[in-house]
Amino acid sequence: MINFFYAYQPLIDFFLLNAGFALSQYIVLRAGVFSIATVGIVSIGAYSAAIVMKSLGLSIWIAAPFSALVGLAVGLLLSVPLARLRGPYQAIATLAFVQIVAAVALYAEPLTGGALGMNDIPKQVSTLGLVFALAFVLYILGSLSRSRIGAIFDALRQDEAVAGSLGISISFHHALAFALSGAIAGLFGALQAGYIYSIEPHQYGFVMLTMTLAAVILGGRRSIWGPVVGAAIMTFLPEIARPLAENRLLLNGLLLVVVIIFLPRGVVDGLIALVRRRRTSAVTWPAESSKEVRT
Amino acid sequence: MLAQQLFNGLVLGAVYALFALGFNLVFGVHKIMNLAHGAIFMVGAFVGLYSVTLGLPLWAAFLIAMVFTGLLSVMIDFVAFRPLRKTGDAEFAMLIASIGVEMILVNLALRASDARTLRFPFGIVPVEPFFLFGMRITPLQFVIAAVAVLCVTLLAFYLYRTSFGRQVRAVSSNERAAMLLGVEPRMIYLQTFFISGLLAGLAGVLIGLAFNSINFSMGEPYLLRGFVVLILGGLGSLRGAVVAGLALGIIQTLSVAYFPTGLTDIIVYSLLFAVLLVRPNGLFGDAVSDARVARR
Repeated sequence: MINFFYAYQPLIDFFLLNAGFALSQYIVLRAGVFSIATVGIVSIGAYSAAIVMKSLGLSIWIAAPFSALVGLAVGLLLSVPLARLRGPYQAIATLAFVQIVAAVALYAEPLTGGALGMNDIPKQVSTLGLVFALAFVLYILGSLSRSRIGAIFDALRQDEAVAGSLGISISFHHALAFALSGAIAGLFGALQAGYIYSIEPHQYGFVMLTMTLAAVILGGRRSIWGPVVGAAIMTFLPEIARPLAENRLLLNGLLLVVVIIFLPRGVVDGLIALVRRRRTSAVTWPAESSKEVRT
Repeated sequence: MLAQQLFNGLVLGAVYALFALGFNLVFGVHKIMNLAHGAIFMVGAFVGLYSVTLGLPLWAAFLIAMVFTGLLSVMIDFVAFRPLRKTGDAEFAMLIASIGVEMILVNLALRASDARTLRFPFGIVPVEPFFLFGMRITPLQFVIAAVAVLCVTLLAFYLYRTSFGRQVRAVSSNERAAMLLGVEPRMIYLQTFFISGLLAGLAGVLIGLAFNSINFSMGEPYLLRGFVVLILGGLGSLRGAVVAGLALGIIQTLSVAYFPTGLTDIIVYSLLFAVLLVRPNGLFGDAVSDARVARR
């Protein structure tokens, strides 16, 4: 067991980081906001942590909360203009945001090191630290999702007009989702910077964006375990099937298409719904038709 | 100097317009945001290159690439989008499915090319420039401009002067009503996706020739530019896509020429962000498209 752990430790660390990014992406999608700004905020978080750690010599204990705050602020700022746009256009606008962040990171060379990125960031993050951070975020999101706010997020995602007519403030809850997503992204950006020694702008681009989004879609958008399971699938599956590792993108792409067509709620939420339907249909009503309630 | 830059910008913009026309057609008519469009463009460049390597003349390479990408695009519609049409949240699901398709195509191209950058054999297009009004114009630039004008004219004729085009426009304003009036939507999907893929493939070969560098990730920047043109020009607006494409080409060339390098992307994407917020229906969008973009 111990040997197994050491052999796969880097992989487990990557999984923990990916799960954090996926959770940041998940919380906006759950609230019905189609923002894909997560990667941009992760980048901002990673850079601000790296700058604070390198130039001021602060430890990760200060840098990580600082980055989370920066991420929260950026998320809140983004939520103001994005509140005016509808789904897919929010995606385009936030995609533009991600590109702007990458371009600025390339351009602001004195601060960010330009295309070479920032190197020699002191490594202060261990596997245990990542586990704690993920557990912390899961705890917060878990208690949120069992509270009123979780129910409101679900209502907003399923039908915004109905939710609004029931007296739910759409803009407030969307801003809340943005702030949460930003804080998580900033935190895990800082942890990544403190884990991998060096960061550069191209790391936070289209590929990472699609991977993070794919993790959430694969896992599911409702339960907090969805993005974690999704990140696990994305990280471990290519490693389990070695010959597939070279075709990682192909595999992920196929998975994405198949899951969105046949299991539109994702693996975790799909299973949960299946179990629930079994239980209820056995007791009371006859088997429901295969038409899913729209999510 | 300025005239030269403007001309270069117009030629680049013409390719952006060609690329964005297909993207905009599918999005305007079916509300499908096809993120695989950049990958189709890249496949077009690859097919064009392989045809030339096999010894075919350039015009045949163009033709093969265009037909190939057209069919590829139709196939993507069949496999990835059609099963999703009847589901509740189709807009979101189709966007995700198209990301999946994009990953698959990029991976295949990566494997086929071993992640190398491929080039057309030297001398496939004449490189001696000729001079007109003091501007240096290469034959390829001339071809690109001519092809773009031809394609836009043909597409405009098709959309506004033929029965098929009328049906396409009917589906774009209301698919259900068009169906009740006897339009077969499946035929419309077939046509729009074929034309869209064809234009992407054409743009792919043209860009492959113009910059003479073809690799698996070449679609991504063009896809992002496609978004800019789409938003700037307004949804489903043919005129908008052409004007916005040309404008984007000029803005980009001028900012490369007169501003420090690296600022171009910041300018282009900030412009996209700003236009989305200030005038979300774009420069040529109407009230219908406005309702699609903004919240109630």
